[in-house]
Amino acid sequence: MVGLSEGEKHFIRGGIAQGIRTDGRRRLQFRALSVETGVIPQANGSARVRLGATEIIASVKAELGKPNILHPDKGKVSIFVDCSPTAEPTFEGRGSEELSTELSVALQRCLLGGKSGAGAAIDLSSLIIVEGKVCWDLYIDGLVVSSDGNLLDALAAAIKVALSNTGIPKVNVSLSAASDEEPEVDVSNEEFLQFDTSSVPVIVTLTKVGQHYIVDATSEEESQMSSAVSVSVNRNGQVCGLTKRGGAGLDPSVIFDMISVAKHVSQQFIAHLDSKISAAEAAAE
Amino acid sequence: MSAQAGTGTYSPAAAAGDKRREKREELRRHLAEDANWPRADGRSFHDCRPAFMQTGPTTAASGSAYAEFGKTKVIVSVFGPRESKKAMLYSDVGRLNCNVSYTTFATPVRGQGADNKEYSSMLHKALEGAVMLHTFPKTTVDVFALVLESGGSDLPIIISCASLALADAGIMMYDLVTSVSVSCFGKNIIIDPTSDEEAWQDGSLVVAFMPARKEITQLTLTGEWSDGKITNAVELCMDACSKLGDILRDRLKDTATLTSE
Amino acid sequence: MRDLHLSLNQTQRVRLEAALHELQSLAPAAASAAAVTVADTIPVNQEDNILKGHGTSDQDGEVVATLCGVVERVNKLVYVRTLRARYKPEVGDIIVGRIIEIAPKRWRLEINFSQDAVLMLSSMNLPDGIQRRRTAVDELNMRSIFEENDVICAEVRGFQHDGSLHLQARSEKYGKLERGQLLTVPPYLVKRRKQHFHNLAQYDVDLILGCNGFIWVGQHVVVGEKTKTTEDQQKSSADAENFTPLETRKHICRLANAVRVLSALGFTLTVELIIETAEASVTSNVEVNNMLGAEFYVQTAEREAKRRADLLRKKNGGR
Repeated sequence: MVGLSEGEKHFIRGGIAQGIRTDGRRRLQFRALSVETGVIPQANGSARVRLGATEIIASVKAELGKPNILHPDKGKVSIFVDCSPTAEPTFEGRGSEELSTELSVALQRCLLGGKSGAGAAIDLSSLIIVEGKVCWDLYIDGLVVSSDGNLLDALAAAIKVALSNTGIPKVNVSLSAASDEEPEVDVSNEEFLQFDTSSVPVIVTLTKVGQHYIVDATSEEESQMSSAVSVSVNRNGQVCGLTKRGGAGLDPSVIFDMISVAKHVSQQFIAHLDSKISAAEAAAE
Repeated sequence: MSAQAGTGTYSPAAAAGDKRREKREELRRHLAEDANWPRADGRSFHDCRPAFMQTGPTTAASGSAYAEFGKTKVIVSVFGPRESKKAMLYSDVGRLNCNVSYTTFATPVRGQGADNKEYSSMLHKALEGAVMLHTFPKTTVDVFALVLESGGSDLPIIISCASLALADAGIMMYDLVTSVSVSCFGKNIIIDPTSDEEAWQDGSLVVAFMPARKEITQLTLTGEWSDGKITNAVELCMDACSKLGDILRDRLKDTATLTSE
Repeated sequence: MRDLHLSLNQTQRVRLEAALHELQSLAPAAASAAAVTVADTIPVNQEDNILKGHGTSDQDGEVVATLCGVVERVNKLVYVRTLRARYKPEVGDIIVGRIIEIAPKRWRLEINFSQDAVLMLSSMNLPDGIQRRRTAVDELNMRSIFEENDVICAEVRGFQHDGSLHLQARSEKYGKLERGQLLTVPPYLVKRRKQHFHNLAQYDVDLILGCNGFIWVGQHVVVGEKTKTTEDQQKSSADAENFTPLETRKHICRLANAVRVLSALGFTLTVELIIETAEASVTSNVEVNNMLGAEFYVQTAEREAKRRADLLRKKNGGR
């Protein structure tokens, strides 16, 4: 991230206070969103999302595995984010570790719900094949190709698109296996089950600069923030996860206000994203 | 040595607003009828574990604190302000470096200390709003947290213990940061969960709060919550945090009176 | 043609391709003939003593290009000039740069070049304006003149022996730039002209086209205010009421977006073109942030193709 001089920071703050940001957007406006699906043929589902100059590639791979002993009727999902050095030279090697971990954890929090599985975006019990023995392991990987602020929103959108593009192969279990042996599983190459992504939430990050909130901050605007709240909202308007990032303390009433603003903005964003997804899928066929 | 380093509980007030009282009565009635949700250690839903906190266990550090909340035991040491290693980067403000690690015997399964990196960055975020970084420019303050035993609600206890250690080290702060977490099970909200309760929760909410300034420095929410539930839970946590803040202040005053004698 | 990734629908794509095709056909034909890529042989008359210049090498007696670009011949010198070069500084260039480090008696600036440029303390006017020797106290107070991450404009004074640049900022019009935004474009899009400072009075906006590809669009600052010390400026910029007025801000955003669109299309940046693009966006009622959208992008390409065609026709008609 290039540094900013005091004069430029003052200009950015002024823009946000007056409602015109440096590229002309209003405070609650997202940048141009472009969506492509099926970019990685060997993955079960993939997507490439561009939000302004931030570019994310997400891929979903499903592999057969054993379910957790504590939850024998649920599959497993693991989310991992990698920040590539092509985005920033400082991301090479261990430089991006902190950021990647933070993003992975925030996404896990929003998509996987509570420990008991309630409120999860992905229904884990739909991933089970043979209870206690065989289940689907979903590996969701996000790659940050180019970073210009608002990585969390773009990652969540990319994962949502990738999941809508995911097809889990149909499985035939041979019933003749004895109960204590490993069952034979035949993975079909032709038939696929599409994922139901109606309950996958999107994340809206509200950045507080001065007295006002902005949506979809560029990395210059993020350097000016006093604090940021990322709210994950699903289609029903329920809050599925919330993370407050950034240094300054916030009055509780401000946080509640940000939650309601985020809900309002997220409904429009979900509609916009859905229309982009259908357009991308129509183009792919 | 000090018989004063006693316990205190920070259970939030039962009467903090009529609507909430009514809701709570209803909840309690609900829970009294519903035999499926008893708490293992005999607490009610809005009771917190007794808090034992003490300053000064580590003599090598500028400041340190030890906290024991039920089965969770945490020790935090603060070193600094010390010369920054990257001394060539001029900066007007100081740096706060946080590190959380689990001992190998902290969890029931050996070596299961997960969430280290995540907790380090969350601890940093919770504290950076309270520490006056501009009072120690060009230097670094290191906060090292060690979890000796993990019995649930780890991160909130680490945060509260760390702010006690920072105050003990004499770092200038705007206010103490105290933290409390709640779990939700269906419609019920229980405060200060143990690790068993955390393993089966439907959602959780962690709040780090500055009691005197009435500002939230960190808020993390998992699971599906409705608006009303969020408001309830946050107010519950803020109340508990204020009381915990009082316990911390008592502890610091004890230390001060001991050293001045 | 980078940086703006736009999803164009079918009609827009067709229009854009038509406009680009027309632009290509209008380009002078001689240029494409002399284009070479790496390892192409350069046609050379063997009897003359040809001097092999930059971008060429000798292989088995043949002159072979080591860069991709256009072959230029000047008397007996043959060299290859790249089209998308890194910034190549010359003495007297106006540059906009960002301070990255304060070193003893000098500031180091980043200017989109392979090395950092150096601005000596002695090449800078002191805040009190008196011409005197720089003392040790001045050295300690360097931070009060320019801090890290400040954006300043200066002029190239000369080269050091290791190739890095020396800058000077002695005139009143050079100095710290505030209240605006800095844009980065590829340096080959800014050609050397007589004037690089443009005061657009109708908008109350300053536009500075740095030869190194840094472009500053900001509120108009009266010449002479640029060398205030940092404390004075901090006092004035802390005022919330001191924000740039809304109308000026809108103009600044429009001009900045015009620069972004033009650089994404790869057109040479001149003041006239930038102003024309901004005016066109006003007349076609494009909202400020929609200037970065697909529709305006295609319209700008078409407009430029038309303009160049008109220019060529006038030139040919005039002959």
